Amino acid sequence: MPDHAAAPPAGAYRARRLGRLNLEVRQSIGRVKHAAFIAFGLGIGLAISVAILMAAGVEAANIFEEFVVLTFFDRLGLSSVLIECSPLILVGLSAAVAFRVNFWNIGIEGQFFWGAIGATVIAIFDVGPPATRIGLMLILAMVGGFLWIAPPAILKIRLGVNEVISTLLLNYVAYLFVLNQIYGAWQDTRDRFPHSEAFDAAERLPLLGWEKVHLGLVISLAAVALVWWLMQRSRFGVYMRFVGANPHMALAAGIPVAMTIFLAVGLSGALSGAAGFVMGAAQEHRLTGTMAAGYGFSGIMIAFLARNNPVAVLVVAFMIGGLYAAGQSVKVFYSLPQALVSLIQAIVVMCVAASDFLVRYRVHWLRGAAR
Amino acid sequence: MRFATLLAAVAAFALGAAGTAEAQFKLKGDPKVAFVYFASKNDGGWTQAIDEARIRVEKELGWKIPFAERVPEKASAIRPVVERFISRGFNVINGSAFGYSDTFKDLSKEYPDIAFVNPAGITNGPNLQSYYGRTYESQYLCGMVAGAMTRSNKLGFVAAHPLGLVTWTVNAYALGAQAVNPKATVNVVYTGSWNDPVKERATALALIEQGVDVIGQHVDTPAVQVAAQEKGVWGTGHHRDMREFAPKATLCSSVWVWDRFLIPLYKQISSGSWKTKPYGEFVGLGHGGTDIACCNEIVPKAVADRVMAARQKIIDGWHVYTGPIVDNKGKEVVAAGKTPSDADLWGMKYLVKGVIGQL
Repeated sequence: MPDHAAAPPAGAYRARRLGRLNLEVRQSIGRVKHAAFIAFGLGIGLAISVAILMAAGVEAANIFEEFVVLTFFDRLGLSSVLIECSPLILVGLSAAVAFRVNFWNIGIEGQFFWGAIGATVIAIFDVGPPATRIGLMLILAMVGGFLWIAPPAILKIRLGVNEVISTLLLNYVAYLFVLNQIYGAWQDTRDRFPHSEAFDAAERLPLLGWEKVHLGLVISLAAVALVWWLMQRSRFGVYMRFVGANPHMALAAGIPVAMTIFLAVGLSGALSGAAGFVMGAAQEHRLTGTMAAGYGFSGIMIAFLARNNPVAVLVVAFMIGGLYAAGQSVKVFYSLPQALVSLIQAIVVMCVAASDFLVRYRVHWLRGAAR
Repeated sequence: MRFATLLAAVAAFALGAAGTAEAQFKLKGDPKVAFVYFASKNDGGWTQAIDEARIRVEKELGWKIPFAERVPEKASAIRPVVERFISRGFNVINGSAFGYSDTFKDLSKEYPDIAFVNPAGITNGPNLQSYYGRTYESQYLCGMVAGAMTRSNKLGFVAAHPLGLVTWTVNAYALGAQAVNPKATVNVVYTGSWNDPVKERATALALIEQGVDVIGQHVDTPAVQVAAQEKGVWGTGHHRDMREFAPKATLCSSVWVWDRFLIPLYKQISSGSWKTKPYGEFVGLGHGGTDIACCNEIVPKAVADRVMAARQKIIDGWHVYTGPIVDNKGKEVVAAGKTPSDADLWGMKYLVKGVIGQL
């Protein structure tokens, strides 16, 4: 089109009149500044949420009360945050460990299910004396999670099969297997509902004596300590970092790349399996078809926000647990639709995630002059 | 709707399970009611009917009754919601699903001062009462309408699962139709799912193809009614008045009227005269629970009058399944002058004469 060729490029006008944004990759960032950016993202997310909640008819004063006071400074509120975050910590760690070696484990829910299946096998077939039941359940759950991720790990290492696809698809296989069991051989004979029979008292995680907080929290905290030591203090942690940064260079430097990936990924599966165990033994007290729902993406999100740092995973999981608990509260007390609650949770998380942009780039505003 | 995958369980709990006598429950303080829904409050069926009852109770008693929707049927979801309500002084918790049975049982033991009630549940205790409606009564009346209106004498019925509480609606539909039209037959198809609009529609279309001109249903969605309207035939709805979706096709509907049951119940709880029953409340037509939304103006007044007369007869104590009743293989299933027990109803495993189909 001749007209078009004659006109000056559209961008030129804009550049002269408005100036332009210039992004510069940061080489490093101070802790305070980093925290400030995250707080900024969190603030925007909360501001949007508050606006939405007020539009839905919740009073501003009540919002602060629900989201802060009654969630973190109230016995029942805090205890439910701690209960919510126990499995979240484990799936967050699971994602962080795998992502550290650049293995995109999208199959957390599948491994979670296999953990729950492992625990259920011990529970419903009453394997071993009651005193050892819980320990056996945890071990078999971790083995279950490990076995479910081992094939994608081997396929990736040996044949270069894309783990995003293989782990993702195995989620559906695990889910369908669970359905097969709960609609079939393991269906509760008492009420014919599609879930396994309930676990006995010896097969449930004991309470810690403060509200309904259970031993799962201790297991999660122990896992944080273990993974922190492994990733930040051990030789294996250095290998993981090296392999994650540049596997070819790592290989050239004589690091056992394949074994490092396999062990890290295996640990990831075992942690997801442990999350399935905690969910089954502490909250559901049986195998159900929906128990893993949402934990895969929660784990990925937590690891992303925590930048694969195990201690940060603990903090982020606690915050996300708080967000879930607060969401439940507003849903209960203001009869809000579930969709609105999910929307608010998503907005807060997205804003925090988006603040990562400011952490990575320095933004300059160049006025007029630039061409 | 998975709220009631219960046949075997109900039979088991009705027959076995150490039943304690009626237990009296005294509430501390004034009643504060809260509802917990397993699905969306506007699901167009079961849950929406409960929500509509909640609104009517609010109006009638002048209470503010909060609800939480989409709380799935698993302990980890139900428990925090219920405990939150309790923590802020709510002392009458109203559930919505079969799948809440176990968790409500556990909670009722942990919180003996709180009253728990649960439609379609199967657990009961001193402060826990499950309840369900005698839907065969309202479906019998819908069957009468269908039997009177059909021209081909071929009725259809789209049913969910082959469980007692579904099968009793199919059979009652046929009995009602035959009461006004001895030549009427009912073609029943079980979809194997509570809520599957695609399958329900396909089934309805297949039935219409076979010459059926009125289709009843015990599935969740209005897909059957919509299909009937498109094809120019009639239908009768379930859960709620489905004229909303198919104003030209839906002749009448078997509907839930839980408010009529819940208002007296809450008053009993409030006055301290509430006694829970060890096998749950099984609410008949006169006592709330279920009723007929009758009728579309297409239905002649004579038919509607006859249906309302039968409704009164049921309220006065007549049992829809009064013998003699013969199944579709010629075997007598209820002897002359006899009526089945509630346990027999929950365990119903036959189709009556004139029903074409298989369990």
